[in-house]
Amino acid sequence: MQLLQQIINGILLGGILAFVAVAFTLTIGMLNFLNFTIPALFMLAGMVTWALSTAGPHFLGLGWHWLPSVMVGIGVAVLASLLIERFTYRYMKARFGDATEHALPLVSSLGFLIVFEHGASALWSSDPQRFELPFKNTNLEWGGLIFGIPHLVSLFLAIGLVVLLKAVLERTRLGRALRAIAENPNASSLMGVEVQRIVPLVYVIAGMLSAFAGILYAFSYGTVTPFMGDAIATDAIAAMVLGGLGNIWGAIAGGLVVGLVKVLAISTFGAEIEKIPVWGLLLLILIVRPTGLFGQTQLGKGKF
Amino acid sequence: MSGYLSGLLAMLSINVVVAYAVFMPASAGLLNLGVAGFVLLGAYTAGALTSLGDWSLAPALLAGAATAGLIAFLISFAILRTRGIYMVLATFAFAEVVAGVLLNIPSLGGAAGLSVMAYAGLPVVVPCAAAVVLLMVWLMRTRFGLAVRALHDDESVANLFGVNLRLTQVVAFTIGGAIGGLGGGLLVHQFNFIDVQSTGVLFSIYVLLYVLMGGTQTVWGPLFGAVFFTLVPEGLRKLSELDPSLKFLEGGRYMVFGLAVVLLMMWRPQGVITRTLMEALLPGRSARRTT
Amino acid sequence: MSEALTLDGVSKSFGGLKVINDVSFRVPEGSRTALIGPNGAGKSTVFNLISGVYPIDQGRIQALGQDITGYTVPQRVRHGIARSFQNIRLMPHLSTLENVMLGEHHRSHPLQLVGSARATARARRALEDAGLGTYPGQVVADLPYGVQKRIEVVRALMAEPRILLLDEPAAGLNSTETKDLRLLLERVSGQGITLVVVEHDMPFVRHLCNHVVVLNFGSKIFEGSAESVSRDPLVLEAYLGSAQVMEGGHA
Repeated sequence: MQLLQQIINGILLGGILAFVAVAFTLTIGMLNFLNFTIPALFMLAGMVTWALSTAGPHFLGLGWHWLPSVMVGIGVAVLASLLIERFTYRYMKARFGDATEHALPLVSSLGFLIVFEHGASALWSSDPQRFELPFKNTNLEWGGLIFGIPHLVSLFLAIGLVVLLKAVLERTRLGRALRAIAENPNASSLMGVEVQRIVPLVYVIAGMLSAFAGILYAFSYGTVTPFMGDAIATDAIAAMVLGGLGNIWGAIAGGLVVGLVKVLAISTFGAEIEKIPVWGLLLLILIVRPTGLFGQTQLGKGKF
Repeated sequence: MSGYLSGLLAMLSINVVVAYAVFMPASAGLLNLGVAGFVLLGAYTAGALTSLGDWSLAPALLAGAATAGLIAFLISFAILRTRGIYMVLATFAFAEVVAGVLLNIPSLGGAAGLSVMAYAGLPVVVPCAAAVVLLMVWLMRTRFGLAVRALHDDESVANLFGVNLRLTQVVAFTIGGAIGGLGGGLLVHQFNFIDVQSTGVLFSIYVLLYVLMGGTQTVWGPLFGAVFFTLVPEGLRKLSELDPSLKFLEGGRYMVFGLAVVLLMMWRPQGVITRTLMEALLPGRSARRTT
Repeated sequence: MSEALTLDGVSKSFGGLKVINDVSFRVPEGSRTALIGPNGAGKSTVFNLISGVYPIDQGRIQALGQDITGYTVPQRVRHGIARSFQNIRLMPHLSTLENVMLGEHHRSHPLQLVGSARATARARRALEDAGLGTYPGQVVADLPYGVQKRIEVVRALMAEPRILLLDEPAAGLNSTETKDLRLLLERVSGQGITLVVVEHDMPFVRHLCNHVVVLNFGSKIFEGSAESVSRDPLVLEAYLGSAQVMEGGHA
């Protein structure tokens, strides 16, 4: 029973991880770089939602209802994502041609990560903040097992969203355009794909996914801090590598696996051991089979 | 010298050492997002030797550097099979594996960290930093340094003139690891403590960023980066202490660093210190010397 | 006369596309051989095969009496083959001297100080011989195109090659620079170094080269003297199109 409960906890954590992993893998697949602002967007959505919905002396402590707080939280993250697109990808494309020949977008995103994390620290202090859960009973009990409702929501949302994403990518013109850009940005613009409008869309999607994950995380675990994105990002990157860079279903599966391994390892051995098998496996994968366990073809060049 | 200033100088020295741990492979085109791994290896090795093994400081520091260097050498063959984003991720993964292993050695303190009694003050830390800088300046002026820089600019052409790509990269990566190990040894003995939590992903990110900010074209870039990273946030904090209305500067002092990185990547991605800049600053040298 | 370089039935494909098709030719030792052909004929690819950048699919390459088909890239420069490139491939952030000194890397000790007077002496002399003595310390990215192109040639010479492959060395040079280049190459050839030159500048080729190999669509269509190449019908057809050849060879 205990084991089953842990498995459920693991899958439910995996659902949240899956969102972030998909955001990472989408950016790598479409735009060919590892976007380290994703953990910052994750955090921004979570913290803004907390700040707005909790009355208090802190910045934005307006004590709103959770629903508008969530909306604003997502909005802020998406806006931040668009801002970043403006100042990194688009700027560099204009200035250097191919924005991803160097590690510039990666390094720039790291810079933004620092800006946002420390900005949040400046606004709200770096202490962890308790998030008052807006639902009285956030757990579903069934047969002696506990399912956190936010976890469940995130799991189903994740699957639903990705089904939607896959459908869009494979069946719509927009999706084809996105895939064309991933293969060859210059040829795509020559062939009439409006790169200018579509690249920001990828940033928006990544921002939304990160935002959902951040808010669900806040609801599920009840705390937020300016650095909450770091551990999640590390796990999500692991999930992405497991699933293969650019592989969306792989990212979801990877997220679930990592979530499971993490929770099971913590409950069985104590918190510290899971790093070794997870990252050892990942290192092996990167060296031996970079396409990940699910060996799908990658979108794009997978450069930086 | 006041306690505050000496602490600052010690921190600067350590940051300089760690900067060159990242610079060495970076100058060969290998981005290392896991320097924390080598720092931890050096710190725990040196720290364990002085606290559990009763070694004296100097040999322990050397052992820390050697251990990190050896592991860098062994892992380099695997990591150098990857490229681009995969290499960045592989170095990142390596650091996580190191952290994971160290967390699970109870005699080294586990998650609570390792405390050591031996102290490395300014008389140790500053000369070490100076030695590292001198070593790097010398190394980059040799044929090896030329090969490294050629490799970074154009692998294929460097190969065509006889540069052994794999060997050069392995050596660069190994030296970087050893220097990182030295930095770790200094770190643990300056603060009398090390733990995995505080020397993790963010640590690696900061170091990589300030090295790239300084510039990897010349050997002076990382020095600039380390100085900026150590002094600017501190300077801002001091300013906020002096004038209470500037309190926000304290919380946001690293924001300035992050912003500087973003702006630099937009306007001067090669970093602040470039080859052309050095030539312009020290023109007399160019006719006679070549670095 | 012995051969410096021989290609024997060499073929190379990229993906499904055969870009070099059963090419054989000989470069006599000490000669000044031109490798010409319309755009896309495969000339630069042949250079890449000779210098080892790509492995060949079929055939053999012999250089200075040895079969070098299996040699690694560094082995080939040690064997005596050096080259320049169609698009300038100097290290942009290094100085002229440093770029040139890379040329002798294969013969040097890894810990030798690159800045010392002794180490730079040969490079300085080589630059002066080529008329580029005023630029030693400058970062090459700041130098004019024509200067960079000639620095590349000097770099290749520093390798003390016995076979020098030059890929469009005169492209983009003005007439003075072209003449200086030709004089330099004549001097180099006079020292016994075999030259293989890819060029589009026909007067340059005619003045410099005594042996010509012509490629078209990855195959060799002519090999012979510089005098007879301009009369060969296949060559004319390749360059000018068959219709004009049919009209009695007015070119």
